[in-house]
Amino acid sequence: MSRTGVPSIRRRLARVVVGISLAWSLAAFGVVWAVVYHQVDRVMDGALQESAEILFGLLHANAAQLPIGSGGSLPAPPHDEHLVWQLVAADGRVTWRSHRAPAAPLTGPAAASQVATDEGDGWHVHLLPFDSRGTVLVVAQRHADRRAARLKAATATASGALLVGLACAAWLRRRVRAEMLPVLQLSRQVARYHPLEAAAGLPPATRAELVPLRDAVLHLGERLAQRVTSERAFSAHAAHALRTPLAGVGAQLALAQRESPPSLQPRLQRAREAADRLGRVVTALLTLFRSGTEPAWQSVDLVALLRSLPVEGLAVEPPVQPAPCHADPDLLAAALLNLLDNARRYGATRVQASIVQDGVLTRIRLADDGPGIDPGQRQRMQAALDSERYDDGLGLGLMLADRVARAHGGRLALLPAPAGFAVEMTLADKPGPIATAPLHEAGTAGG
Amino acid sequence: MRLLLLEDDAILGEGLSGFLRAEGHVVDWFQRLLDVPALDGEPYDAWLVDWQLPDGSGLDWLRGLRARGHATPALMLTARDRLADRIRGLDTGADDYLVKPFAPEELLARLRAVQRRVAGTASSGVTLRGGVTVDLHARAAFLDGERVDLTHREWSLLEALVQRAGRIVPKSTLEALLLGFGGELSSNAVEVHVSGIRRKLGHAVIETVRGLGYRVTP
Repeated sequence: MSRTGVPSIRRRLARVVVGISLAWSLAAFGVVWAVVYHQVDRVMDGALQESAEILFGLLHANAAQLPIGSGGSLPAPPHDEHLVWQLVAADGRVTWRSHRAPAAPLTGPAAASQVATDEGDGWHVHLLPFDSRGTVLVVAQRHADRRAARLKAATATASGALLVGLACAAWLRRRVRAEMLPVLQLSRQVARYHPLEAAAGLPPATRAELVPLRDAVLHLGERLAQRVTSERAFSAHAAHALRTPLAGVGAQLALAQRESPPSLQPRLQRAREAADRLGRVVTALLTLFRSGTEPAWQSVDLVALLRSLPVEGLAVEPPVQPAPCHADPDLLAAALLNLLDNARRYGATRVQASIVQDGVLTRIRLADDGPGIDPGQRQRMQAALDSERYDDGLGLGLMLADRVARAHGGRLALLPAPAGFAVEMTLADKPGPIATAPLHEAGTAGG
Repeated sequence: MRLLLLEDDAILGEGLSGFLRAEGHVVDWFQRLLDVPALDGEPYDAWLVDWQLPDGSGLDWLRGLRARGHATPALMLTARDRLADRIRGLDTGADDYLVKPFAPEELLARLRAVQRRVAGTASSGVTLRGGVTVDLHARAAFLDGERVDLTHREWSLLEALVQRAGRIVPKSTLEALLLGFGGELSSNAVEVHVSGIRRKLGHAVIETVRGLGYRVTP
């Protein structure tokens, strides 16, 4: 397994190649061993027969000078004799022999008149009829010597085959690594590839099989860059089209408030607050839907922020103690405002806000006194939030709050609540996957 | 302060210039670059410039002025909120950068901050000769700690001099700062207002440099 927990092609391939090579090597070892063992046996049989025939000729040619029939042995210097011979008479008596041959006959009288190879007791023998009186020439090798020779030859040859197989396995493993290298290089290049950079591109593929993959990635990158470019252009146009009128509304209302009689001041103040809220929501939306934008991180007191978000007809009860946090105040204000607006629209009159700070995580919980929702709907909505399927029964408020939480490295969780609706925004102090899952295990509903 | 506002959106431009005028500032509002007269010799306390104008880029306009040596403080008022845009705007010569939508009160605060930076002071309070203190933020003048009421024009003239404290300000500059384009002022209006300020705050507060103009000294 690789570091990502996904099986590695290179390792799997290397394992298969090495496994097959080892199996092949062992099979080759067995086959070579068996063949060599058998063939050496045959070669030694042939050598025994040839030796018997040569000896036959020599003995016949010199029969008159040799003391055949004396029962003695041929004199010889001291040496290790691996091949012995006897002349065995028809009555089973050894009439002459080589100096290491035993005095007793190496084979029985039954075979005395045959040309045969016989397996004597501890000896491998070859018989040749020697004369008309029934004398037999017996040429023999010890079984132990033959076995040792066969074993040595077979083992040496098979070991050679095994070594070649193992060397091939190692070599194949290296080749697999080498052949997979272009894939790894392309993976690294794709990881570094940023379609939006001016000099975006990938080096030419070094293997034919990788050409379609590289081309597909480049094509995808080009389409992505095109899409982002057009979205950015749209975003810039939308920003200008929305921000300037909003600023105009703000300026006109500020002027109207300044010039109006005191009786109109509260109404104009509310209008300014509404315009201000609208501005924040628009700012948040423009920021969220523009690719590549990071939150403007800064120190924010969440309690002060909550206090600055009045929602008509809704009493918000924030904690008393300040709660400093590292976040984008505009995004956070837009998200919280939308959650509070939701509460009011669904009939809540009071929202209890609590803030829990645990290391790098900050949890903002809003619990209202509204009608809440049933557990099944809460779980469906939570599933939609978790999978970012915002078109699946979620309104703008929850979607915006979730996007803001995610932009801050956190999540939005709909908490089980005995009454009303409870929601929790988890924020980290930096973007990225959240370290701890939100506390939204199954339970009763909120609204 | 005499302000030049370059903003093509009629609702925003009208609202903003009205608000700034209501705050006692002199505002020359233009919707196109073509309408802006030659600024050589036109004294402004600050330029408020939109980036995107119908006939060109406000930023390019500002770049051109900076290249010709104009040092008047400039605030970019724009819908462009990207970090790269803000950096580009500030690097091109803007002294501050305000992203739309913004509250006019924030614009005023930023104008005061820019003016403080230009004047090299940390606070909005300035002490002048003769026991006079001027609070530019509160738009109030004090004589020996007692607040003194000034007319709108008197305050604008005193503010213009305080913002240029230590320097001689020609009468023509003061006239321009008091009126803006298209305004009419009687020929001795500056003398009349200087006389009114001296009557309320003491003669020492404004020094007349004969033949050159007026000066206040901290």
